[in-house]
Amino acid sequence: MSGPEAIAGAAPDTPRAPGAAGMSLACGDVSFSYEEARAPIPALRDVSFELRAGGSLALMGASGSGKSTLLQVIRGLDAPESGAVLLDGAGPADTLYAALQREVGLVFQAPELQLFASTARDDVAFGPRRLGWPEAQVTAAVNTALDVVGLPPARFAERHPYALSGGEQRRLALAGVLAMGPRLLLLDEPFVSLDPGTRRQLVGILERLKAAGVTLLLATHDVDLAWALCDELLVLGEGRVVAAGPWDFSTAGDRLLAANRLRDPFFVELWRRLGRDPQRAPRTAAEAAEALS
Amino acid sequence: MSSSPDETALLLDISGLHYRYAGAQADALADLDLTVREGEFVAVVGANGSGKSTLARLLGGLEKPAAARRALACGHDLLGEDGRMAVRRDVGVLFQNPENQLVAQCVEDDVAFGLENLAWPAADIGRRVDEMLAHFGLEELRRREPHLLSGGQKQRTALAGVIAIPRRILVLDEPTAMLDPAGRDEVLIAVRELRGEGLAIVYITQEMDETVGADRVVALERGTEAYAGDAGGLFADTALVRRLGLGLPAAGELALALAEQGRDLPGLPLTMDELLDALGAAT
Repeated sequence: MSGPEAIAGAAPDTPRAPGAAGMSLACGDVSFSYEEARAPIPALRDVSFELRAGGSLALMGASGSGKSTLLQVIRGLDAPESGAVLLDGAGPADTLYAALQREVGLVFQAPELQLFASTARDDVAFGPRRLGWPEAQVTAAVNTALDVVGLPPARFAERHPYALSGGEQRRLALAGVLAMGPRLLLLDEPFVSLDPGTRRQLVGILERLKAAGVTLLLATHDVDLAWALCDELLVLGEGRVVAAGPWDFSTAGDRLLAANRLRDPFFVELWRRLGRDPQRAPRTAAEAAEALS
Repeated sequence: MSSSPDETALLLDISGLHYRYAGAQADALADLDLTVREGEFVAVVGANGSGKSTLARLLGGLEKPAAARRALACGHDLLGEDGRMAVRRDVGVLFQNPENQLVAQCVEDDVAFGLENLAWPAADIGRRVDEMLAHFGLEELRRREPHLLSGGQKQRTALAGVIAIPRRILVLDEPTAMLDPAGRDEVLIAVRELRGEGLAIVYITQEMDETVGADRVVALERGTEAYAGDAGGLFADTALVRRLGLGLPAAGELALALAEQGRDLPGLPLTMDELLDALGAAT
C-alpha cells in the first residue's frame, strides 16, 4: 500500500499518466444529509469501508440508497457532516489532501451531458488546463486518454462532441477524467443506456485500467458486470452499509443481495443450479466455457 | 402470443418513414417500415444512435416525420398536425428516466394528471385512478411524494399515469434502464400484463434478455430495419449481431464461447432454463 509519504516528494500538481499506481481509500463513519425545507434528509449514515490501492469495488444497492452521494463525498464535492474520507491514508487535515482529491476521478451518470467544448480535444484538455499543466503535457495527456478510450486522436480529436454517437460521447467524457491521470476512478452507473457493443468496449477499458493498477469504485445496478469487473462489493441500504467485503454466495450472502433489490450474477446462479460451488463461479462467458468443456 | 395476425387490427402501419434532425448530415430514420398489430409485443433493438428513441417520439406524435409513404397509428396520419394531436390520445409513451415524467405532489395526483388535462369528470377520474393504483400495486403508496419512491415504484407510477388514459399502443423507451433488478422485474411484469389485455407494445431496449419472448424483434441500423423476425433468428446470426453493436443474452454468449472451445450445444439457448436443458442434453 502506498501511504501519503509515497507522493510526499511530488509537487501537488504533478500529472500522472493513466495507470500510475492506484490510491487506497477508507471511509470512516461518513454521514451526510441533504438540506430540505422541512428537515434534513439523511443520505449516508456512518458509512465505513476500506478499498486497497489497485482494488476494485462494486457499489450496489437499491435506487436512492446513497450510491451517488457517496461518490460525490469521496471526490470532495460534498463535505461529510461527520466522519472522514482517507485517501492514501491522508485525511482532510493533511496538507496534501487537496492534491490527493484531484487524483480522484469521478465520471457522472450520463457524463456526455456535460460535454461543452467545440472539439473533442478541447473537451478532454479542459481539466488538465485548469490544473495549469504546460500545453505540451496537456497535449500528451489528451492524446493518451483518447487512445485509451478507443477514440484515436487522428480521427476524433477535431470532431465536435455533439457530432459523436452516444457511446462515443460517453467514452469522450471518460477520457476527460482519465486525462488527469486519476489513481482512484469513481464511476456512477457507467453502463446505463449503452448498447451491448459499447458496453463490451467500456468493460475492456476498465479491465485495462484495473490491470494498470488504478483503483476502481463502480456504482452499478448491473450485477453481471459488477461480478465480471470487481473483486469486492459494498451494498448500501438507506444510506447504511449492509455488506462490505468479498462477494459471498453462501446462503446468508444470497439472501442479502435479494433483500436489497439485487440478484445473483448469471454465472453464480448457473453454478448453483449445476450443483457446483457458487463461490467459485466464473466471471465471464469465456471462463465459464473453459470450466464446462 | 398474439392470435393469428390476420384477425387482429393493424394498429401501426408505417412504410418509408424518414426523419432528420435540424442541421444533421444524415437521416435519423431512413425508409423505415414497421407494422404492429393489436396485442403484439415488438422489441426494438439497435446501437446507440440507430434511431430507436427518435422512432418512439414519432410514434407518439411528438415529432413530425420528414416524409413517409404511409404513417398511420391507430388510423391517425402522423404526417398531419391533426393526426399527431389525435394519436397522443391512443399512443402512450414511457421514457427511460422516471424522474422526468412525474409532475405532481403525490402518486395518485400523478396518475390523475393526464385525465385532468383531458377534463374527465372528477368521479370518473377517481374511479380510474383507483383502478390503476390497484393494477400496478401502488394503493398503499397513493399519498407518497414521488421523490420518496424507489426507481421501480416511480416507473410504475409513470406507467400507471400513461395507461390511465385508455390506450391502444404503448411505446416504452428503455423503461428499465435506470432501475435496480427488482424494479426492473416489477416493470416487466406490469408490461407483460398489459400485453395480455390486448395493447400493442413497442418495447425499446438495450437488454438482450428482455427481447426473448417478444412476438417480433426489429433491429435498427442507421435508422433503417436491419432485421425483423423472432429473437432466436436474430441471435443465431452472430455476425449480424456484432455488426449491429448488439450482444446475446448471457446464456447465448456462453453457448458461443462453448462452441469456440469445440463443444456445440443443441440449438441456441437464450435463457438459463434453455441453457441448463442444452447442457444436460449435451452431456
